[in-house]
Amino acid sequence: MPTETVKLEGHIVDSLILAKVLDLILDAGADYRIDDFELGRTNVDPSRATIEIRGDDHRALDTLVELLQVHGANRVGDADVTLVAADRAGVLPVGFYSTTNLATEVRVGGRWVVVENPEMDCGIVVRASGTADAGAPAATARTVPMHRVALGDRVVVGPAGVRVHAPDKRRDTRAFEFMTSDVSSEKPKTLLVHQVASRLRAARERGGRVLAVCGPAVVHTGAAPDVARLVRGGWIDVLFAGNGFATHDMESNILGTSLGVSILEGSRSEGGHSNHLRVINEVRRHGSISAAVDAGFVTGGAMYECVRAGVPFVLGGSIRDDGPLPDTMTDVVAAADAMRDLIGGVAVALMLASTLHAVATGNILPGGVETFCVDINQAVVTKLADRGSHQALGIVTDVGPFLRELADRLAC
Amino acid sequence: MCPPLHFGVLYEINPWMHREVAVDIEGAAAQWEALAANLRGAGAVVETIEPQPHVPDLVFTANAGLVRAAPATAPGTAAGAGAGAGQFVPSHFRYPQRQPETEVFTAWFAARGWRVDHLPVEVDHEGAGDALPFGGTLLSGYRPRSDASAGPVLSRLLGTAVRSVELVDERLYHVDLTFCPLDDRRAICAPLGWDRYGRRVVEELVPEPLWLEDDEAMAFCANSVVVGTNVVMPSVPTRVGRRLEGWGFDVVESPVGEFLKAGGGCRCLTLALDVDLGPA
Repeated sequence: MPTETVKLEGHIVDSLILAKVLDLILDAGADYRIDDFELGRTNVDPSRATIEIRGDDHRALDTLVELLQVHGANRVGDADVTLVAADRAGVLPVGFYSTTNLATEVRVGGRWVVVENPEMDCGIVVRASGTADAGAPAATARTVPMHRVALGDRVVVGPAGVRVHAPDKRRDTRAFEFMTSDVSSEKPKTLLVHQVASRLRAARERGGRVLAVCGPAVVHTGAAPDVARLVRGGWIDVLFAGNGFATHDMESNILGTSLGVSILEGSRSEGGHSNHLRVINEVRRHGSISAAVDAGFVTGGAMYECVRAGVPFVLGGSIRDDGPLPDTMTDVVAAADAMRDLIGGVAVALMLASTLHAVATGNILPGGVETFCVDINQAVVTKLADRGSHQALGIVTDVGPFLRELADRLAC
Repeated sequence: MCPPLHFGVLYEINPWMHREVAVDIEGAAAQWEALAANLRGAGAVVETIEPQPHVPDLVFTANAGLVRAAPATAPGTAAGAGAGAGQFVPSHFRYPQRQPETEVFTAWFAARGWRVDHLPVEVDHEGAGDALPFGGTLLSGYRPRSDASAGPVLSRLLGTAVRSVELVDERLYHVDLTFCPLDDRRAICAPLGWDRYGRRVVEELVPEPLWLEDDEAMAFCANSVVVGTNVVMPSVPTRVGRRLEGWGFDVVESPVGEFLKAGGGCRCLTLALDVDLGPA
């Protein structure tokens, strides 16, 4: 909750100014806490009160504080950020300000500068801007994950001069209000699919991008063709997944199985446990998924449609991966950076039957992205929805029928 | 006081001022002389400051600043004795049109050996027009011309308690249009100028207030000069006159219509130099 602290000094009790200020705070719908109060002992000693004001959003709070200044209440702590130069690449200075994924501003040279790429658990680096343009800010600010701090980068240290904006409650909450109670498997699924579809359409209309994060279960439940339909229909702009999803998607296209289990019949095929290894092996022979598609080795499926449509994807590797596929990024730090480079403009994120990559994606997304977490397991959904994405909706269901119906809804 | 040689309504910085309304300069001079005579007749000694062409509102000496008289010249000193040098805190004017007056007034006091203490640069306060002593405290107005934050500053500078009240009617833009101390128990009060907090503060401060009706306030009845038991007023509504006389005051009407064109009444045209703010 945004807060501002003000100080009142003088014969504020006898003048009833303290009472007036507190009344004005409450009248404005804000709340206060008196952090400190000193009653003047003599006729000349002023009384002093330090009041923390808590409001719903920064704009209203700023207006209220300006109003209170007329009555002698002065803002405390309108300080610029404290900047410390990193003395080692990849190491943030001690006491670095650790970010949230909320819209954030830093005060530099007396002016508020928007931090360009909100991401949680990062430092903030401030650079003097190169432009001499009178209208442009004198500085720029970006979140920088620890490993990308360069020697000499000026990093924000301590809480001074940083303000964070709570998510704008007024922004189109109708859809979420309908569903924002606790995650439960007992909500009508068709209605949920309908809501998700309409959120995707709304994002499209605003020019926002759609990100899908897919776990291997998407393929096991037979929904890879529906992901393919969504990609072909232009409903997915970027895909994050792991080695498993891509592998089994291609396995199901080439051999009709996913992890050896027939997609159509559900039965284990003879020697099927090595099907996926053979697919990985051949893709390795081609050198990349894209090359395998171009060569006609992969003729359909989600990865095929991504290559055909030019939809970028990042396959983040893990220690248990088979192969891995040539496109799978085994350096997970590099994989996360590749993901960071692709999330610009993302308005909606679909987390589909994934825990690992969903968490990784949630870590780098800014707070305002509408996030839908779909999984058969309520615990996974709760965990993802609770991660502080602030706009996450959990849907407990089998991702297979969910995706089929979503693709149908969007007329793919 | 300042003779109205260069008085006129040359700009508009309060709701009373209208440039198109001409000031009758001879009428103004006559009213001013009559006021000075009434004050002398009541027992006051009148000292003057030289008028200057670039500051037509210099006539309103109440806004020169805040005065704390040296102890030897507490009220009741024999007539004829001039004010000894005390402490002067020059005003910081809200409007640039009056800001040049600060230097003029400061020079006058400094030349007479007064100790001059300055407000911080960023604090506005318009002097005795916006702070009047009563009951051991200064009742100070804020918002239209003076800052609320001037309260603790003045308290420290002058060694006296200050109670700040918000002036909520833009026509009553200085506290001396809403409040006139009469003696240590009584004051003329115009609640039209205050909100409920201000009214409460005054109720608690003044044991026997004379509450003005709105039209009486708008006739500047609160902007009166008190010399001993004489009250010199811009106009005397019957009810008000009767009450004051009932309390033992002698009431003198001293019309200042030409000065009302600039938003100033009797008190605005004077600055008390014998203000006793109690032990420092």
